[in-house]
Amino acid sequence: MMNGANKIFLLVVFIACFNSIESIAQDALGVIGNAKGVPASLTFVELKNVMKGEKQRWKDGTKIVIALMKTNTPIGQTSAKKIYNMSGDELNRFWLALVFQGKTSAPTFFNSMSELEAFVAQTPGAIGIVKKENTNEGKLIPVDGKKEF
Amino acid sequence: MNYFKKVFWGIFIAICIIQNLAKAQVHNTQIRGFVDVIAAYQQEKSSFILGEQDLFITSDLSDRLSFLGESVFKYSAPSPTLFDVSIERIVLKYNYSGNHNILIGKHHTPINYWNDTYHHGRVFFPTIYRPLMFSTGIIPLHTTGLSLQGLNLGKYRFGYDIMIGNGLGSSDVVDNNIFKSLTAAFHFKPIDGLRVGASYYRDIISSSTLATHQHHGGAVNNLSRTLQQELLSGSIAYFKSKWEFLSEATMAFNHTDSTGSSQNSVVYAYAGYRIKDKFIPYVRFDWSEYGNNEIYFKKDNTTSYLVGLRYQINYLAVVKFEYEHVRSNLTGLVDKYTAQFAIGF
Repeated sequence: MMNGANKIFLLVVFIACFNSIESIAQDALGVIGNAKGVPASLTFVELKNVMKGEKQRWKDGTKIVIALMKTNTPIGQTSAKKIYNMSGDELNRFWLALVFQGKTSAPTFFNSMSELEAFVAQTPGAIGIVKKENTNEGKLIPVDGKKEF
Repeated sequence: MNYFKKVFWGIFIAICIIQNLAKAQVHNTQIRGFVDVIAAYQQEKSSFILGEQDLFITSDLSDRLSFLGESVFKYSAPSPTLFDVSIERIVLKYNYSGNHNILIGKHHTPINYWNDTYHHGRVFFPTIYRPLMFSTGIIPLHTTGLSLQGLNLGKYRFGYDIMIGNGLGSSDVVDNNIFKSLTAAFHFKPIDGLRVGASYYRDIISSSTLATHQHHGGAVNNLSRTLQQELLSGSIAYFKSKWEFLSEATMAFNHTDSTGSSQNSVVYAYAGYRIKDKFIPYVRFDWSEYGNNEIYFKKDNTTSYLVGLRYQINYLAVVKFEYEHVRSNLTGLVDKYTAQFAIGF
């Protein structure tokens, strides 16, 4: 028979494993950008500032255009968690409030990765968050020196 | 400047605007709205109350020029249809460099956090109604004019608003005197979720000025002499996933040559704590006090205690329940129970 301490230990191990499985299950993300305006590499802090609408223009003056997957998609939910530290619902509220205040333009949200990639390729200054494994590695912009996060 | 020079500059400016618009990619136009309904119990009487229907439109006209419009439809007893439409905001924004913008139109005066953040979007309000300072006549809700704005500058995400506009008592289409109102506000956001700000507002209010919703929140007295008004405001806001805190204070100094200066103060503090993801119990305290020689504001010294619960169904729907106890010079003791269902669409 297991004693009480062993049971608690096994429970803690189970919870820890479950949490790590859940975090492993989160998709690895990557950043893509249009050839005009978007820098060749970013730090994670810079990426967060840009994706939160805190910067309006890139260094060359091109307007920043944000492209995200919809928050009801797995990539959208992972983007919300990893970049904004928010749930999908909180992210929608965050952007609705910001646009309503007139502080910034709304991001463009997409249902599919191919639509998002095409939009970023065609729109000067556009930056988008994609699923790393579905994207040509050559297109990915390093964040803190890595092509995924 | 002679006639030909005026024509030349007129044509030059027109060409610049046309070129800018010709380059415009008209996209990212959004039409959104907010509605709320309320049930209230006060003085042994219960009522259902239709709130506001707020429509707002944003549109990027070019990569530097954008538009924001906000119109409110609400009940109005004097109107033949019992409803009025009011233009709350019409703002044309030109991003001239980096995070620096020039704005022209009708704004919510960026005098404090609440007025510059929540506007008429009831689904965003942390409480059912605005704090009492907005119904005292002290806060100039709207200003039609021109402003310079900077956002998220530097490490501490410094921001500023410098605005001149038609002052109190004027309308959206004509100023009622030669004086312009001045608003100078700044804020910074040193860490995620925290915003600290302060502002200064100055205006000369002409005699016979009547306050309307165009500018004031709340009734004020008719003036028989010209009055100089200065407002000093401060605010601190902290909204993170668990804790919410917002407090603002305004000191109003009114001065006339014959009555001298009076000092008036309004303050509120709100605090909430998120439990179980969607439930946020909260409290709010409001307080206002007026100088004995005050001639412009209604001298309604008030204290209010409020306790409530917010249930966030999702980002477009929220239900709030509140109990409020108000002690007022003019209305005495009031106990009020209110429930609100607010949505965005």
